[in-house]
Amino acid sequence: MNAIELSHICKDFGSFAIQDLTLAVPSGTICGLVGENGAGKSTTIRLLCGALRPDSGTASVLGVDVGSPEFLAAKEDIGVVLDEAYFPESLNAVQVGKILAATYRRWDQALYEGYLARFGLPAGKQFKDYSRGMRMKLAIAAALSHRPKLLVLDEATAGLDPIVRDEILEIFNDFTREEDHSILISSHILSDLEKLCDYIAFLHQGRLLFCEEKDRLLEEYGIFSDTAAQLECLLPEAIVAREPNGYGGVRALVRRELAPVGWQLERASVEDIILFLVKGAKQA
Amino acid sequence: MKALILKDIYVIWRQMKYFLVMILIFSALPSGFNNAFAVVYAAMLPYTALAYDERSKWDQLAAVMPYSTRDIVLGKYVFGWLCIGAAAVLSLLFQAVLTLLGSRAFAPAMMAMATLGGLCILAISLPVMFRFGVEKGRMAMFLVIFLVCGTAGAIASIAASGDAAKFAFQSSALVILLVAVVLTAVSIPLSQRFYRKRMG
Repeated sequence: MNAIELSHICKDFGSFAIQDLTLAVPSGTICGLVGENGAGKSTTIRLLCGALRPDSGTASVLGVDVGSPEFLAAKEDIGVVLDEAYFPESLNAVQVGKILAATYRRWDQALYEGYLARFGLPAGKQFKDYSRGMRMKLAIAAALSHRPKLLVLDEATAGLDPIVRDEILEIFNDFTREEDHSILISSHILSDLEKLCDYIAFLHQGRLLFCEEKDRLLEEYGIFSDTAAQLECLLPEAIVAREPNGYGGVRALVRRELAPVGWQLERASVEDIILFLVKGAKQA
Repeated sequence: MKALILKDIYVIWRQMKYFLVMILIFSALPSGFNNAFAVVYAAMLPYTALAYDERSKWDQLAAVMPYSTRDIVLGKYVFGWLCIGAAAVLSLLFQAVLTLLGSRAFAPAMMAMATLGGLCILAISLPVMFRFGVEKGRMAMFLVIFLVCGTAGAIASIAASGDAAKFAFQSSALVILLVAVVLTAVSIPLSQRFYRKRMG
């Protein structure tokens, strides 16, 4: 079963539109949603959580149609962290816990208090006095403490220092040890996604350019770094995008299967692939 | 809905102590209109909660949580009714104490009129807030408060001027009660519609 299924979703805002978005996240996996600012990541997340109604297309989450009345009950199984949408700033962590205990049937107060202690969050401090990192940690604690099956995280690791980020990624990893637990996470920190994700979905200007298994993606592309003359030996369709390498030569993202056997290509990171793909789209 | 009302109570909790002091001061003032002002102010507390919601983009977060549009909208009305009810009861209690001490006359009729006025203010202005947001809706809210308070004040002043006037006042109170009920019945579905439209 797929944890998330979006089929031909369109949503037009006038100046920006999500166009024919089809995406499936298999249950038990972690999918990273990447793209530039304004690519449509947050909009996609709001669409699949039922916070926005699509103009056309269908969405289902955990097997329930997002547009159906039954989806309200299904939200009990979804933990969401949104970028820049928080609890009202005059609240503190204790009050947030009481509100969420009255919201979710499976709210686990002991688990919540455990996260507050683990993240070093002061219980009585007002939300407005929290740093961005602390706000994110509280939002993550809240999203996990009603024991969801699906986590939807929009820039949830932004603003966290590398040590805490690493700890949070470990928590997300632990979360998916249960085989019916899944995560959709959007982030600009591509190294985090490379560590964490099974799938990478790439949105560009409201369109999904691909959703691939991370390992397959890393196998598919390689980095060429040599002279421009040597790069010209390759088939044009083998070269995704190129840039000067700073030493008078060029650096390019190359499709391995179209490169001649024996060509030395460096391993491409997810960050390399995404950056070159965006450049390629702009150069086209 | 209980969770949403609890959230609004926590959000304005710090303001509550100032509010209690205000009720105390206004109840102690000799003018009947001043007594009613605390109740009218209570009708404005949902906007304070809405302003906090907007500042933190709570609406977006609430939309992904298991709250229905009905819960979110009706929660604000119930919160407003609780505030108006609590202000009226507290204000009456203060007035009763002051009356027992012999310093002034007890004015429950004025308080009843203020309560109905508060309900009308809530019913007219909440749809505006849900449609345009707190910033844009603020001007409309003040206009509504001015109109409702002016009308209620004029009617209430009739009460103090003879038996025939008292009968007219009672009739007016019944009409305002009916108006408050009808306005609220229309206002809630309208707010739900505006909220859905605003959230996309």
